[in-house]
Amino acid sequence: MSDQTAKDPNWKQDFPIERTASTQVSRRDFARFLCLVSGGLAVGSAYVAAKAHFFPPEEIKGEHFVCKADSVPVGGTRSFVLEGSSIPYILIRLENGDWRAYEQKCTHLSCAVYYKPGSGQIVCPCHEGFFDATTGEVLAGPPPRPLPALQVVLKGEDVYVTA
Amino acid sequence: MSNFKDAQNKAHPNKRNTLMSALIVILILNISIQIWLLYTGLNNALGKHKDIALPAFIASLVLFLIGFFWLYYLPMGDRKDKSR
Ligand code: FES
Repeated sequence: MSDQTAKDPNWKQDFPIERTASTQVSRRDFARFLCLVSGGLAVGSAYVAAKAHFFPPEEIKGEHFVCKADSVPVGGTRSFVLEGSSIPYILIRLENGDWRAYEQKCTHLSCAVYYKPGSGQIVCPCHEGFFDATTGEVLAGPPPRPLPALQVVLKGEDVYVTA
Repeated sequence: MSNFKDAQNKAHPNKRNTLMSALIVILILNISIQIWLLYTGLNNALGKHKDIALPAFIASLVLFLIGFFWLYYLPMGDRKDKSR
């Protein structure tokens, strides 16, 4: 054994692992790593479930004043935030006179969306996502969910939103 | 004590290779399903359908446990020491 070692090159003495053994080790480790990833995914699902059941996002309560109706032209928009929250919203005055309010966060990767005047569509510039401006439904592109909407209430000349 | 592991360890390397590949394929399959479960659960939770999150988590956990006990069947390779 000792003269065998003496004949081996230096690198082999430093790393005395046979070829078959080394491939087996790495594939075994790969399988273990896959199991680790699997555990991570299970933990992720657990986090989602816990968050959905025990820490739901806060509901918007009451009516919130946004602006005067005549400050938004027909086909125009206005961004606003509700006090106590950082979520940006977009108020749209559609060409047919209806009012709509949506979260201004694309449901794909949270880019800011904008209303394309005259088209009846809300556009996300990041990956070409399109939403229907009257319903918030996804028309095209990668967004997986419709835009969350707020109810718009008109009181005379004042525009209010409510959940 | 002798169990199937001894036979497995003495088997021809070709056999062990096949076994290893099969194990890894199953693990990858499990993970793909788990990714889908996570994606679906998250999407529905964000879209205010939280009922799907819990079953998705349970399914994901079951898949993880399957994968975990699956590892027991990993061939041990050319171990020199017989102490184990
Ligand atoms: S972030 Fe809006 S389409 Fe990707």
